Amino acid sequence: MSIIIPEIIVLATAFAILIADLFMNERTRVYLAPAAVAGLLLALAVMVVHTPASGALIGGRFTMDAAGWWFKILFMISALIAVLLSMDTLDGRARVRVRGMGFRGEYYSILLFSVVGMMFLVSARDLATLFVSLELATLPLFVLAAWRRDDPKSGEAGLKYVVLGALASAFIVYGFGILYGLTQSTDLETIAQRLAGERAPAFWLAAALVLAGAGFKLTIVPFHMWAADVYQGAPTPVTAYLSVGSKAAGLAFAFQVFYRIFGDALPHWDMLIAIFAALTMTLGNLVAIVQHDIKRFMAFSAISQAGYFLLGFLGAAEEGVPAMLFYLLVYIFSNLAVFACIIWFENETGKGQIEDYRGLSLSNPLMALGMTLALFSLAGIPPLSGFVGKFFLFSIASKAGFHGLVAVAAVNSTISLYYYLRVVRQMYIEPVDERVPAPGSSVSIGLSLALLSVPVAILGILPTVYEGIHAATIAWLASMPQG
Amino acid sequence: MIELLARHSPGLPEWLTLCVVLYSIGLYGLLTRRNAIAMLMAVEIMLNAAALNFVVFDRFSTNQQADGQVMALFVIVMAAAEIVVGMAIVVALYRMRGTVDINQMNSMRG
Repeated sequence: MSIIIPEIIVLATAFAILIADLFMNERTRVYLAPAAVAGLLLALAVMVVHTPASGALIGGRFTMDAAGWWFKILFMISALIAVLLSMDTLDGRARVRVRGMGFRGEYYSILLFSVVGMMFLVSARDLATLFVSLELATLPLFVLAAWRRDDPKSGEAGLKYVVLGALASAFIVYGFGILYGLTQSTDLETIAQRLAGERAPAFWLAAALVLAGAGFKLTIVPFHMWAADVYQGAPTPVTAYLSVGSKAAGLAFAFQVFYRIFGDALPHWDMLIAIFAALTMTLGNLVAIVQHDIKRFMAFSAISQAGYFLLGFLGAAEEGVPAMLFYLLVYIFSNLAVFACIIWFENETGKGQIEDYRGLSLSNPLMALGMTLALFSLAGIPPLSGFVGKFFLFSIASKAGFHGLVAVAAVNSTISLYYYLRVVRQMYIEPVDERVPAPGSSVSIGLSLALLSVPVAILGILPTVYEGIHAATIAWLASMPQG
Repeated sequence: MIELLARHSPGLPEWLTLCVVLYSIGLYGLLTRRNAIAMLMAVEIMLNAAALNFVVFDRFSTNQQADGQVMALFVIVMAAAEIVVGMAIVVALYRMRGTVDINQMNSMRG
């Protein structure tokens, strides 16, 4: 029973916030965000201290394993930071107010529902639970993307997201249907066993449909087209959560699909994965160069990062899984740190073009330093954590014999350094021609940036974290069904 | 006529063909329609084809567990939830812009 307690805590917090919101007035609603933070912290504490790293519930349909444990920690951390980053905008503490961002009770409860969906997603061991939890994780994101009711861009982002998201769901569920037809079972382990050696045309159709759906969630080219508009149109705190939460959920879903359902066929798909990885990072990087809107720029940066994640599926699972989990950890911290600065800057000035960041190093050196650190980590500059994460992923592709792909990835890293430096250049080098009023400071955003910058700087130097993930996944692999 | 139909009751291939045809109609509608509501309807057809797929495989499977029927119920519920969210967004957009034509949804450019 104890393995499901963190989910129950988060879910109870979500409902408590939703109901409490009914009985509160505008002045007391500022306590809703601290309540959400408290709920998430409690769930995190229970997860770390109390929850065993293995176990099964509901006849094996809800299980806990070491990789899932790490995923759940990451989901809760992203949600925690996302709540901290949303507080200023929603409570109206921003100097430049955003209209139509109210409804705090609904906002935080919907955010928490999405986290619960992601947490169930990694524990699901049945087609029904897998599908329902995937939908629970993504449906709230559609709502959040369209949150600003009086902003056409937000509505447009929501509409594009919901139509393409529903299309991806249709792909996934049709693929699941064929898998069910082939194996006559909805249990993932049974499906994997009965699929072993199966190479009928229906198998390929099911694999293609499910992989297309997973590619959509992970923003793999050519299933990436929703990302740019959704990231740009959604309210900025939502974009921050979307860029890490949706990517982490996509990776968790890809883990379920690749390692549990198609574990038997995965080694034969190396070439395909390599092509998708090369396409994704190259296109994401090339388009990011010409962007001016910082949120759209971060969208293409996120697309190219998804390409790096794919490298981890190339080699043996005992190396790929820890490398991907570690890079996910690094990516979440670095990306949220960048978004902390973007949200703060938008709150203070109402601007979001890359050129607007001109002279930030003079008006607020600490924020500029934090953003630079995070951007360098995303670009993979040693000794920051992003470099170490990329190094592990590249070495996996290299060990699997894809030297050309590693060369492509290395070139892409260099290109990405160029466009990440564009932002840094605006902040540090470009001359300040006008006397802009110095932006103020914010407690919650400053706190989250400080919390994020430390791991961005030291995760790569401290070997303990990676060793912990590595040891955990070895135990996880030992528990996997041998298809 | 009734006797003819009774002798040729549709089997698994016929039902699966129906699913594929429905799914393809939905996909075609999604790709060609420019009205947001029509696009949501097309997605709904695709999701229902997928649900029918589960029911068909369940009907012709040898095990007696009704997993597919349960799965179809879940798919129907999730499809409804998705359309509710989609329609809410469409209504909000219509209030702002007075149109639901997807060709005019191009306010964001890179």
